[in-house]
Amino acid sequence: MHDSTLKLTLRYLVSIIIVGIFVFPIAWWGLTSVKPISAVFDKDRIVVFDFEPTLENYRVTVLGYSKRSSKEDGKTLMGTSGNNSYDGRSSIVSSVIVAVGSTLVTTIMALLASYGLSRMRFWGRTTIMALLASYGLSRMRFWGSQGYLNWILSQRFLPPVAIIVPLVFIFHDMGLRDTHTGLIIAHTLINIPIAVLLLKSFMDDIPIDIDQAAMIDGATRFQCFWMVILPMVKGGLAATAVLCFVFSWTEFLLSLFLTNSIRTIPVKITTYVTSTGSEWGYISALGTSAILPSFIFILLVQRHLVRGLTMGAIKD
Amino acid sequence: MLIVFGLYPVLYSLWLSMFKRNPATRIETFRPSWNWSKVFADDRVIDAVSVTLTYTLIALTIQLVLGLAIALLLDSDRKGFGLLRSLMILPLVVPPAVTGMMFLLMYDGSFGVISHMLYGLGLLSPSTPILAGGTSALWGVIIADVWQWTPFMVLIMLAGLRALPKDPFEAAAIDGATDMQAFFRLTLPMMSKIIALAVLIRGIDLFRIYDYIKVMTDSGPGTATETLTAYAGTIYFKNADFPYASTVALFTLILVVIIANLFIKIFKVRF
Repeated sequence: MHDSTLKLTLRYLVSIIIVGIFVFPIAWWGLTSVKPISAVFDKDRIVVFDFEPTLENYRVTVLGYSKRSSKEDGKTLMGTSGNNSYDGRSSIVSSVIVAVGSTLVTTIMALLASYGLSRMRFWGRTTIMALLASYGLSRMRFWGSQGYLNWILSQRFLPPVAIIVPLVFIFHDMGLRDTHTGLIIAHTLINIPIAVLLLKSFMDDIPIDIDQAAMIDGATRFQCFWMVILPMVKGGLAATAVLCFVFSWTEFLLSLFLTNSIRTIPVKITTYVTSTGSEWGYISALGTSAILPSFIFILLVQRHLVRGLTMGAIKD
Repeated sequence: MLIVFGLYPVLYSLWLSMFKRNPATRIETFRPSWNWSKVFADDRVIDAVSVTLTYTLIALTIQLVLGLAIALLLDSDRKGFGLLRSLMILPLVVPPAVTGMMFLLMYDGSFGVISHMLYGLGLLSPSTPILAGGTSALWGVIIADVWQWTPFMVLIMLAGLRALPKDPFEAAAIDGATDMQAFFRLTLPMMSKIIALAVLIRGIDLFRIYDYIKVMTDSGPGTATETLTAYAGTIYFKNADFPYASTVALFTLILVVIIANLFIKIFKVRF
């Protein structure tokens, strides 16, 4: 408004520099993924742009070609022909199955639950809200509860390490350990409270008069939900689904403990660090592939992000 | 479902924490006070508490100040700031495990870009890599955490700034208040609730830090970056002393609950 040109220029400059600093690690990561090995491991200087871009790292991790010692002789390294331990394809498939599966299950269950909680008054409603907010994997109530929002926050209290031991036993006994289904259930369990509270906060924004008008016009409860509320809450639904997807996609601890052979990308990637050194080219290639989908999704729902991350506590 | 997956693990943890595990015979006997008295006598727990507190306080302060400053900077409707805000949230979607790896790559003593920059500035010598020294390793992890979570603070602060009423600022401008005065007298007091909420959420998360420590330093060098949850993880993985791991984890939980409640009481956080 009253900014002088100099001040404005300065502001642009400082903003760009700061944002640049925050973007830099990701840009560097992306850059590393297309560098040949010699450029990544150059000890004498830092190679920034003067290298021959290569997609070799992606060929090995994403497409599953076997690792080659050099381009000239084309021999496979260490005699492990055909057996490529840097093949990330199965982990990408696992990640997609688990993230998509748990997102679908969570969203559908949360949609129904949140409609009920938002629109109906019934016995035990507050208790259910409280339980919802407090149960799950990293959840626990704390004493002197001051309304249900405290319950939401309280779910962030418990170190996941604390309950992971019993959880592994439970999953083992139920035969869910090391299965996609098991991991989908686990991720659904973490995400459901967040999803329900988030969706409820979106539904609360829709005046209840609309429901009543629809019902007076002869719509049943379900028709009212399906044909009136659902279209109106679409944006919120998309935001919730994306957040669930991102949480599941980036989740590390549960995937680490609950699986052995099925590896999601974040877990798989840590196995590339070996005692003889880390294959940074492969790590960054798989890492970049892991970041891209969630980044695209999150940009689509950027508007609702604040509400999502505070689980509906702050409305933007 | 609620009971099986929610309440049961916590109770089971508590039950488990009452057993004494004999490492040689792997027999667990019921000794309710064994692990709990061990927690309070364990030097590593005391160390871990101090590391956790140091880590939480430093990271939280940096994230809060930076977050507020960047939010103020980016809170503009002029061309380009929308794009900058979008770019700013990029770090949030990177899996924490991958963040750890990213910084490992940049910290690497022989070819890491950050290390080379520090060599150039003369702040570091190649003989002492960042993650090899006790203090610098802690800072290394804190920087990764700050990088990932400052955008979260920025988002919350931006939401708060956007929700502020315009009138008081116009009145202040007419009365001749400088930008500084307007910030300290108007913006800060009006934002206090949101700031308290953000501090609470981040503080609790920081207290439970696990991913970065596990990926980047694995509690090392020695136990210089061993936080409470990392220690619990170590007991679980390396010593396989499940009862004691549960005890340490529950101890962490109790500590968080006490601190968070004190914070809520002192700063009168209301939602």
